[in-house]
Amino acid sequence: MNRNRIIFGIGVLAFVSVIATVRLGGFLVDNEYRQPDRQVAAQEEQGEAELTPRQQGIADEQAADEAEARARPYEEAEYRTVSFVGSRVTVWVLAQLHLLFAAFVLAVPLFAFIIEFVGYVKKEERYNKLAYEFTKLLSVSFSMTATFGAFLTFGLIILYPKFTNYLMHIFSPTFLPYVLLFFLEALFLYSYYYGWGKFGPKMHLFLGFMLNIVGTAIMFIANAWLTFMMSPGRRDDVDGDGVPDFVSAVSESGALLSLRDAFFNFTWMPINIHRIIANVAFGGSIAAAYAAFRYLQAKTDEEKAHFDWMGYVGNFVAIIAFLPLPFAGYYLAAEIYAFSQTLGIQMMGGTFSWLFVIQAALIGNLFLGANYYLWLGMGRMEGGVHFQKFIKWLLIAIALCFAVWATPRYAISSVSEIAAMGGSSHPQLSYLGQMSAKNTAVNILILSTYMSFLLYRRTGRQSVHPHRQLLTRAQAIVFSSAAALVTFYGVYGYFVDSATRIRFAIPQVYSVLAALVVITVIDLPLYRNARQSGETKWGKVPAISQYALIFIALSFTWLMGLMGYVRSGLRQEWHVYGVVLDTSPDAYTPSLGFATQVVSVTVLIFFGLIGVVFWLSSLGGKKDWEPKAVADGDGRLEGGQAA
Amino acid sequence: MKLSVPMPLRLVLLVLGTTAFYMYLGQIVPQREAHPPPPVLISAEMTTEDLVAVGAELASGKGQCLVGCHTVGQSGPLRYPDLDGIGARAATQIEGLSGLEYLAQSLYEPAAFIVPGFADGMQPIDQPPISLSEDEMKAVIAWLQSLGGTPTVTLDTELGY
Repeated sequence: MNRNRIIFGIGVLAFVSVIATVRLGGFLVDNEYRQPDRQVAAQEEQGEAELTPRQQGIADEQAADEAEARARPYEEAEYRTVSFVGSRVTVWVLAQLHLLFAAFVLAVPLFAFIIEFVGYVKKEERYNKLAYEFTKLLSVSFSMTATFGAFLTFGLIILYPKFTNYLMHIFSPTFLPYVLLFFLEALFLYSYYYGWGKFGPKMHLFLGFMLNIVGTAIMFIANAWLTFMMSPGRRDDVDGDGVPDFVSAVSESGALLSLRDAFFNFTWMPINIHRIIANVAFGGSIAAAYAAFRYLQAKTDEEKAHFDWMGYVGNFVAIIAFLPLPFAGYYLAAEIYAFSQTLGIQMMGGTFSWLFVIQAALIGNLFLGANYYLWLGMGRMEGGVHFQKFIKWLLIAIALCFAVWATPRYAISSVSEIAAMGGSSHPQLSYLGQMSAKNTAVNILILSTYMSFLLYRRTGRQSVHPHRQLLTRAQAIVFSSAAALVTFYGVYGYFVDSATRIRFAIPQVYSVLAALVVITVIDLPLYRNARQSGETKWGKVPAISQYALIFIALSFTWLMGLMGYVRSGLRQEWHVYGVVLDTSPDAYTPSLGFATQVVSVTVLIFFGLIGVVFWLSSLGGKKDWEPKAVADGDGRLEGGQAA
Repeated sequence: MKLSVPMPLRLVLLVLGTTAFYMYLGQIVPQREAHPPPPVLISAEMTTEDLVAVGAELASGKGQCLVGCHTVGQSGPLRYPDLDGIGARAATQIEGLSGLEYLAQSLYEPAAFIVPGFADGMQPIDQPPISLSEDEMKAVIAWLQSLGGTPTVTLDTELGY
C-alpha cells in the first residue's frame, strides 16, 4: 500500500477517534440521572428547577472557591511552583535552551562575516557561497532564540516574581537599550540574509559587521545581569595599597548604590571573553554538524564535496576557538577566586570538584574527536600517507593527557579499598589528580591538537620557501621548548607550596600561547604559494568522519550545559551572592547526578529543535513542488503533455 | 547478509548514546546535595563550654571555616594555616595583641595580618555571604581558643568590633 495512503488513513482514524470520544462524553453527560420530566416541568414553572447531582456538585464547588477567594487577602507572591518538574528545573531548562540558541545565533554571523570577507579579499565566489550556507541557519535559530527568551522571561516573572522584581530594580535602565538593540539585530540579520546578492559586497559586509557589533552588545548587556548575580560589585584599589578591593554595587539591604558598578562587575569581562570564544567554538561545531547532516543526505558528488568542505571549515572554526578556551576558562576561574576565595574553593575543591572530572572527560573527547576528524581528513588528500606515521605518536600523547586530566585526586572507593590505600586517595595515582598534572596535561593536549592541524595543513603541499629547512627546524624548537617548559613547571609544582604552584599555571599558559603564535607566524610565509603535490578530493572522506563532527557538536553542547550548571550553582543558596538569599524550597545545590540528568534532557531537546532548524534550512535547496502528472485514457498527461 | 542501519536511525542512536554516556558519568561520581547550613541557636544562658560546641558547629557549617579553607591537625601543602594549637599560639602572633584580640581581628579583619607563607584571601566573616552575628563570632572564637588553649569567651565578652 502506498505510504501516503497509510499516513492519510492514520490521520483520518485519529480524527474520527477524537470525534467519537467527544460524542461519547457528551452522550454520557446528557444521559446522567435527572428527576422525572413532569416533576422538573412543574418545578420549572415555579422557578425552582432542581439541578442534577453532578450540576449541584459543580455549583457548590464554584461557590466554595469564590467564597475562599473573596476571604483571602491579596499577597505578593515570593515564589510560585510548577508541579512535577519544579520551578527551578523549569527556569534552568528554559535558560539553557535560550543560551544555546543565542550562542549559535551570535557565533554564526561572526564566522560567516569572516568567511565572506576572505572571499571578498581573495575574489573567490566559493567563500561567498559558504558564508551564505552558514547564514541560512540563522533565520529559524533567531526565532528560536527569541521564543525561548520570552519563555525564560515569563518563567522568571511567574515563578520567581520577587527576585525578578529585584533584578528589575537594579537593571531596569538597561532594558530599553536591550530591546532597541534586539530590534536592530533583527534588522541587520534579516537584511544580511535576504540582502545576499542584492547589495554590493562592501555594503553587505557592512551589514554583517553591524550584525556582529549589535549581537555582541546584546550579549554584553545580558552578561551584566547574570554576572551581577555572582559578583555584585567591581574591583578597585580604593585604599591605595596596591591591592584591589571589592566595591559593592548595592548596600547591605540590597539597595542600588551604583548601576555602573553593578553592570561592570567583577566577573563581567571574564564572562564576556569566555562566552565570545565558547560561542564561536560551539557555533562552529553546530554548523559543522549541519554540514555533516547534509553530507550524509547528499546524493551527488558535487553536494558531497560542498558539504565536506563546509564541515571542514565549521570544524576548523570550532577547533581554532577551542584551543584558547581553556585559557579563557582559567582567567574566569582566577577572577572568581580573586572575587571570593569561598566561591573559588567551592568551585574547585568543594561541591563541584567532581564536576571537573566529567568536564575532563568531555574535553578529552572533544580533543580526540577533533584530532580523529583531522586524521581522517588527511585521506582526502594525495600525499597524506607521509604524515600518517606521526599520528600514532599524537594519539598516544592525547590519550595520556586525557587519562591524566580525568584522574581524580580522590578515588571513588569502598571501605576495604580505602583501608588498602590508606585513605581516599590512591598512593601513586592521586599525584596525577593534582593541579600541576592537570595543567600540564591540558597544555600538552592543546599543543598536540595544534600539531595535528599543522600536519593536516601540510598534507599534499610542499613548501617552496628558500629557508624552509631552517624555518621548519625553528618551528620544531619552539614546539619542543614550549612542551619542555610546560612539563618542567608541571613537575616542579610538586616541590613548592600551593600559592607558588597556582602561579605556575601562568608561564605554562603563556608559553603555549606564545608557541601557537610563533609557529603560526612562521608557517604562513613557509607555506605561501606552496607547491601542490596532490589534489584535495573534497567529498571523499569516510562517512564516519561526519558522525565524528556530530559527536563533537553533541559534546560541545553537553559541555556548555554542564558549565552553565557550575557557574550558576556556585552561588549556592543565594540568588545574588551575599545580597539576596534564596528562600524557596529549591535553595540547595542539586547533586551532580541530578544536574547531569537535567543537562542531558536539555541537550536532547536542543538537538530535537536544531534538527528542525537543519531540516527547514535544507528545504531551500529542494525542488519546488509540482502537481503529479496523471495520464488520461488517451495516454496524454494533464496539461496537454504527450505521454 | 550485511545489516544496514538507516542514516536517520544512526543519528538518533549517536545522539542518545552520547548523551546517555555523559549522563552515566554524572551518576557514578560521588553524589552530594549542598543544603544551606541549619540555623544555630545561641541563648543568653549559654556557658563558654556551650559556645565551644556551637563554634565547632559553625566552623564546619555556616562559617565555612573547615569547608576547604582551614584544617585542624593536618600537615603538608596547605591552602590556609592549620588551626591546631591556635588557642595557645594566638597570644604570641602579634606583639601587643592578646590572644582574644588576635582571634577577633583575624575574623573581623583577616587582611590585617597574614601568617607568613600564606596568601591573603579570607573575607571578613561578619559580612555577606557568611554574615556571622556577634554572638556567633564569640562562639567561633571560643572554639578557636579551645584548640590548644583554654576558652574564656562568654556572651558578655567585648570583642571591640
